[in-house]
Amino acid sequence: MASSTAGTAVTEIPDNIQPKDWRKTGIIVAFSAIPLALLVFFTYLPFFNMVGYSFYKMKYIGTPKWVGLQNYIEVFTRPDTLSSLKLSLYYMAGALIQVAIALYLSTMLAFKVRGGGFFKAVYFFPYLINGIAVGFIFKFFYTRGYVFDTVLQWCGFQLDSLPYWLKDQRINNWSLVGASIWRYLGQNVILFIGAIMSVDKTLYEAAEIDGANKWQQFKHIILPGIQTILVLNIILSITGSLSAFEGPYVITTGANGTATYFVLMDQLAHGSQKVGLASAMAVVLLMIILICAVLQQMFFKYVFRDADDGVAKAKKKAAKIEKQRRKMALKNAPIVRNGSRNNKEKAVA
Amino acid sequence: MKALKKIVTAATAAVCAISMAACGSSNGSDGATDLTYDKIELGTTGKDIKTTINLFTQRTDMLQDSYNGTTWKQYLKEFNKLYPGITVKVEGGTNYGDAALTRLQGGDWGDMMMIPTVDASELQNYFLPYGTVDTLKDQVHYVYGQQYDGKVYGISSTGNAVGIVYNKKVFKDAGITENPKTPEEFINDLKLIKEKTDAIPLYTNYAAGWTMGAWDAYIGGTATGDPKYMSQELLHTQDPFSDPGDGTHAYNVYKILYDAVADGLIEDDFSTTDWEGSKSQMNSGKIATMVLGSWAVSQIKSVGANADDIAYMPFPITVDGKQYTSSTGDYAYGINKDSSKENQEASMIFVKWMTEKSNFSTNEGGLPVAKSLDGELPDVYSEFKDVTFVEDEPAVEGEEDLFNDLNSDSELNINAAGDARVQSIVENAANKTKSYDDLVKEWNEKWNAALKTENVDVKYTTVVK
Repeated sequence: MASSTAGTAVTEIPDNIQPKDWRKTGIIVAFSAIPLALLVFFTYLPFFNMVGYSFYKMKYIGTPKWVGLQNYIEVFTRPDTLSSLKLSLYYMAGALIQVAIALYLSTMLAFKVRGGGFFKAVYFFPYLINGIAVGFIFKFFYTRGYVFDTVLQWCGFQLDSLPYWLKDQRINNWSLVGASIWRYLGQNVILFIGAIMSVDKTLYEAAEIDGANKWQQFKHIILPGIQTILVLNIILSITGSLSAFEGPYVITTGANGTATYFVLMDQLAHGSQKVGLASAMAVVLLMIILICAVLQQMFFKYVFRDADDGVAKAKKKAAKIEKQRRKMALKNAPIVRNGSRNNKEKAVA
Repeated sequence: MKALKKIVTAATAAVCAISMAACGSSNGSDGATDLTYDKIELGTTGKDIKTTINLFTQRTDMLQDSYNGTTWKQYLKEFNKLYPGITVKVEGGTNYGDAALTRLQGGDWGDMMMIPTVDASELQNYFLPYGTVDTLKDQVHYVYGQQYDGKVYGISSTGNAVGIVYNKKVFKDAGITENPKTPEEFINDLKLIKEKTDAIPLYTNYAAGWTMGAWDAYIGGTATGDPKYMSQELLHTQDPFSDPGDGTHAYNVYKILYDAVADGLIEDDFSTTDWEGSKSQMNSGKIATMVLGSWAVSQIKSVGANADDIAYMPFPITVDGKQYTSSTGDYAYGINKDSSKENQEASMIFVKWMTEKSNFSTNEGGLPVAKSLDGELPDVYSEFKDVTFVEDEPAVEGEEDLFNDLNSDSELNINAAGDARVQSIVENAANKTKSYDDLVKEWNEKWNAALKTENVDVKYTTVVK
């Protein structure tokens, strides 16, 4: 039926005699020219300039001096650049905790929960606040005897037994990671909820009929269903943690052993005016992020190598069975055909 | 095609207009006055000038009648008693530094402005010289602030000096009657305050960052008494942070901070200090001292009821039995080189009147700019009677950028947002990770390496002898 209507439609539409091609090209060019120009002028051009700077000893004003790879050698031999990269481990650990919490919360919120909308708003709200404002909030939050200490005292802690959240170098990085989790958790939750909602609801019913409990449903239905978003979130969080900046910059100004790679880069570029060295650091960071992303891709490919939802496998199997069935049908087909009607319809299709 | 022609014509016309305007402005300078600052005798020179001049200033607060000091209106009234023919129109700009630069580039900014951050070599493109450095340095202070090639392009409106803000009442409660003159006396006083009062002896304002960088202001004239130290001698000094053994120089400035932190004489949690809050805490007597410029005094006085308790004392370092303090100029008046001759003369007369007759700097709690007014200290500096004010001399020719280069190479960033370095003093003292001598060694190594990179010939070691 469908094939026959399609056949008539083709004959009824007249040939397009308008010179359409140049218009189409024109529109495509016009629409992509502006974003492309923006991308080139504000992303690629500055980036290639920066790569160029990284080979010079230069300040913002004055003549640059060619030093070759000296800046790169310095990035890898300075004690402070490497130790600042170590701080990224705190933020990576934080990122994993963040994704885990987000996964837990979003799994619950994806189903009917009383006040679900309210909680979604609560989790997402911090993401809407300006990062600088978040910094100031947490500066007061962690101040001795202020918000956090007061809340903990309600819970029965003694002020004397509580640590100094930002002063104590053993925990101040964890404090900053906490602030970062608070801010970015909502974004992960919203993304996960969206992904979980798109999983076919009938699968849960089928699973329940088969006697699967909630954990098994999560493991075998939700997790494979949101695999792409999950991997994306983890990659974004990990690469984001390599370039952590706002928190340490605003809350502690990078002092007291909290200067992350980015904060150090800012100090070198704007404080000490070592533009070449800071550019080299940026290039090195880009390489590190690229390597991390590739490694993660490989890791997740390995982890999810047989954790798909079975659709592709089933399709393959179905195709195989169909093929076999047709073969059999052909074999068992009557030698004399019943007429040509069937064949005609096939030809149109 | 017609439209294109029109556009081309319009564009050509516009280019012509711009180039003609450019010619016009350069013509204006032909009629520049040859009057110089030193030749003006207030009350006689230019008595018959009748004109209107404009002043662009950062002091917007003084335009308001509610200002609790002398307003522009009052100054101008006084000025017009002497010069009734010259009308001065004052315009204020908030966010002054940026606004003034924009106006300066636009060219149409009136007759006088407070000179924003302009490279010294650029001054002559915008401003009229007041005279040579040699003739003016006997008449006014801070001539080196806005000078190029021996000519002075700006007269400072007022001067500032550095010391320590403190709460008199807390000192009295602790039984301290005399201001400390050496680092040891200062630390002992802080200990007394900790013992006898509830106040925080020294509030570092660590978290704000810039408040820590402020410590750098004391290592020059204040700690050496030498006007050539900061801009000339330091640039040829090896190991400038080592202990000179006589309680002076950078070593002893930063050591005060290290010792105060190590002895627990600062706030409990330095990592979460709050600058705005610290002002009212000091006003109410919860903080005894803060190491900040004199500008902070009026701010701290104004945030609470105990304005009379807040005072300013010289920095506790004595060089050969004398105390010194670095003094620097504030915003300086510049005169438009493209104004008419009459307006330029009127402007220069007004600037001289503001500097010598108006009492402006004293009213504003600053140091007088005219040398004829030396000795007239405003209330803020009432405890600086025996202190010598040191003005840094400029760098010698060819070394104007050397200090910036050394700062950048060494990453010490002295007097240039070196907040992290001073913050590290507090961290290491509090966590006992590095001794003060370790820190000094680290800075010396960085500085010496920078001297080598810039190929500077080393003339001194630690101190100038």
